[in-house]
Amino acid sequence: MMKYKEIGIKKGIKLHLIQTDKFKTNLIAVFLTLPLTQENVTKDALISAILRRGSKNMPTLTQINQELEEMYGASFDCGIDKTGDNHILKFYLESINDKFIPNKNENILKQSIDKLLEIIFNPLTENNKFSEEYLMQEKENIKRIINGRTDNKALYAYERCIEEMYKDKPYGLYKYGNIKDLENINAKELYEYYKNMINECKIDIFVSGDIKIDTEKMLIENENIRNLKEREANYILNNIEKKEEAKETEVTEEMDVIQGKIVIGLDLTLNNVEQKYDALVYNAILGGTANSKMFQEVREKASLAYTAGSNYSKYKSNIFIKCGIEIKNYQKALKIIKKQLKDMEDGNFSEEDIANAKKGIISTIKSIDDEQDTEITYFFGQELSGEKISIDEYIKKIENVTKENITKIAKSLKINTIYFLKNIETAEEGK
Amino acid sequence: MQIIENSKVKEKVYIEKLENGLTIMIIPKKGIQKKYVIWGTNYGSNDSKFVVPGEDKETEVPKGVAHFLEHKMFEQESGINSLDTLTALGVDANAYTTNDHTAYLFECTENFYPALDELMDYVQHPYFTDENVEKEKGIIGQEIMMYDDYPEWKVYLNTLEAMYYEHPVKLDITGNIETISHINKEILYKCYNTFYNPSNMAMVVCGDVNPEELLEEIKKRLINKKSNGEIKRIYPNEPENVLKNEVEQNMDVSQPLFTIGIKDKVVEEKERVKKHIAIEILLNMIIGKSSKLYKELYDKKILFSAPSLDYEFSRGYAHVLITGQSKNPKEVFESFKKEVEKMKQNNIDSKEFNRIRKRIYGEYIKEYNDVSDIARMFLSDFFKGINSFEYLEEVINISKEYVEKILKDVFVDDKMIISVIKR
Repeated sequence: MMKYKEIGIKKGIKLHLIQTDKFKTNLIAVFLTLPLTQENVTKDALISAILRRGSKNMPTLTQINQELEEMYGASFDCGIDKTGDNHILKFYLESINDKFIPNKNENILKQSIDKLLEIIFNPLTENNKFSEEYLMQEKENIKRIINGRTDNKALYAYERCIEEMYKDKPYGLYKYGNIKDLENINAKELYEYYKNMINECKIDIFVSGDIKIDTEKMLIENENIRNLKEREANYILNNIEKKEEAKETEVTEEMDVIQGKIVIGLDLTLNNVEQKYDALVYNAILGGTANSKMFQEVREKASLAYTAGSNYSKYKSNIFIKCGIEIKNYQKALKIIKKQLKDMEDGNFSEEDIANAKKGIISTIKSIDDEQDTEITYFFGQELSGEKISIDEYIKKIENVTKENITKIAKSLKINTIYFLKNIETAEEGK
Repeated sequence: MQIIENSKVKEKVYIEKLENGLTIMIIPKKGIQKKYVIWGTNYGSNDSKFVVPGEDKETEVPKGVAHFLEHKMFEQESGINSLDTLTALGVDANAYTTNDHTAYLFECTENFYPALDELMDYVQHPYFTDENVEKEKGIIGQEIMMYDDYPEWKVYLNTLEAMYYEHPVKLDITGNIETISHINKEILYKCYNTFYNPSNMAMVVCGDVNPEELLEEIKKRLINKKSNGEIKRIYPNEPENVLKNEVEQNMDVSQPLFTIGIKDKVVEEKERVKKHIAIEILLNMIIGKSSKLYKELYDKKILFSAPSLDYEFSRGYAHVLITGQSKNPKEVFESFKKEVEKMKQNNIDSKEFNRIRKRIYGEYIKEYNDVSDIARMFLSDFFKGINSFEYLEEVINISKEYVEKILKDVFVDDKMIISVIKR
């Protein structure tokens, strides 16, 4: 049985306890949430990279890794994400539950929580600034990531489409920032920014597993948490996004690729929160499953693609269609894709399509608590949108979606951007 | 059913080998919503030369048939694709092909038995026509082109190409546009009838199920087919040495990708698990996250993240793979070789050895979190003649002396190669 509880540790700092006996592991996650801004995006990315390098009590990466190995291969991970208009620094530590440890005298869960908080809130500093050496290395590292964006062509095409749609807006920013800003950041300034940031951002601490200790007490007594101030957490509540009327834009980029990538970004205008569930079902019919129109028409019937699908971004009210195609078939594929959108508007889908789409979504919802990180992501998503619904309510809302609801979604969809990544030489044929 | 229990990870596997030769393994997981079923055949991309049971002469088929078959199995005589039927049931269905096996699977929270009906029906009823075979060539052609753009895949394939002279493991699982053009429905039926016989197959189920009941349900869904006897597989004689020590290809990557490969000898079945663990321990000690070498290379900005470390083996091949990204792969290669030599001379540090062993123990435990990971692990280990629990037992007992022996046997200079992809 799973039990979920939220506990305020301090103003702006929340503990989310997920008691479950399904897993061999305990998973601890700490999320720092702050608004995504042009000014700070690069600094945030750099902080996430620098913190994992060493803390006061574990000053080197080697030492962190050795201590984690001693804890039966506990694994630390960190990353940076944008969720709506927020930038989120994510830190995870996964370790095996004490039940599966041959030596019974250890308390791996407590050690895990302490170590993770130490890495995030007690960084290695020298003369009241970050380590110059680590800063230099991590700048190089972020630079490498930014320059390496083009390595994964499908992901690159998707992110580029988003950038085109959200030019000069927070959501159009690349989560790792940019090289120009990176070069100008110094160790002193970054440390000052960090100190402010950890005392202003929203902090969510998730502990999931078969928990036998008083986590709340542990956190309250933890020195790193004690040192944090109460705060009016500065972040952006993810609500329904208001859309301005946009003109359909086509963007083509050339690169050394064999397969072409189409990404179409669509704007969705919602009148109320309930319509998010309609949009989920709409997306499943359009391109969410192997039964979807995209998969059937573009891949199976026209044999045009190996990958063909769509996804719904609920935080920004967008639907993205993604397709990998032979470059010369661009116009053909585009025509078929647009036909699918039109068919959705005209209600050319059956009650069976709707029922199948719902089944797929509901199955996913039901298995949320089968994976620790999925479950944490689910509760955190609710935390950021301020809408708390149980899994049963969620399922009910999906079940209640009607054909009329779905066509309403279809009619409010507008193509914002068509992005195409293609080969440098290939000429187009067959319009 | 035979029950094997592991006290470390506190899980049980129920095993039954049916009269027709099919092996069924069930791992019950109380309280988990998802159920996972995977049905595999001991037949992968490497098996393109064989003797059909009952025949005398060898059969050779184009590269890529196993994968092509996997795609085509979903097609039904009714015109309805089984993948659509399964998706319509709200279950997540898929299939994959590796070098040594092919598997069909689904994961569900509802409609378990209807999905099992469909899975067992389509895997037992192939339907190939000239038209549906031709059409698939377009889709698979797109899949091959998609992989052509993946430098991670290319660096791997080039590694195998450099290590092996003859063994088919060096070829792409999908085949290429040329080889798949020769595939027709007769070839598909021939391979199907040879390899999709119950005696060459195994099914694994993981989830909240009653093993005895489920076994009966599975039996009910099996069509009457007799074990067809042993399939003789023919692999070329592969020399012990490597074909070449270096291979390079140009692709549009921001920073070079590299794989260091070490060609290994195939060992007897009973030693495989132990050897696998020894190699994992060694790789971690030499160039893992907590190693001196990794720190040194990180500080010199030669490496930015710890390389991924793998040991792959199956019928007729075994090799070590170290994969990463670096602006100077050759330097990684040279320092790696030096570190190996140093370790050989100084022997292994006990403290370090114990720490890495603890870590690997923990990693094995973690593999039992997810029903799909568990089922896939049991299936692929089974086709290698391994019960997955063996890893948990062996890791505790493995000795420093054995690991030192493996270091000297496997990590040999002239068996090492480097594959690089760069701009």
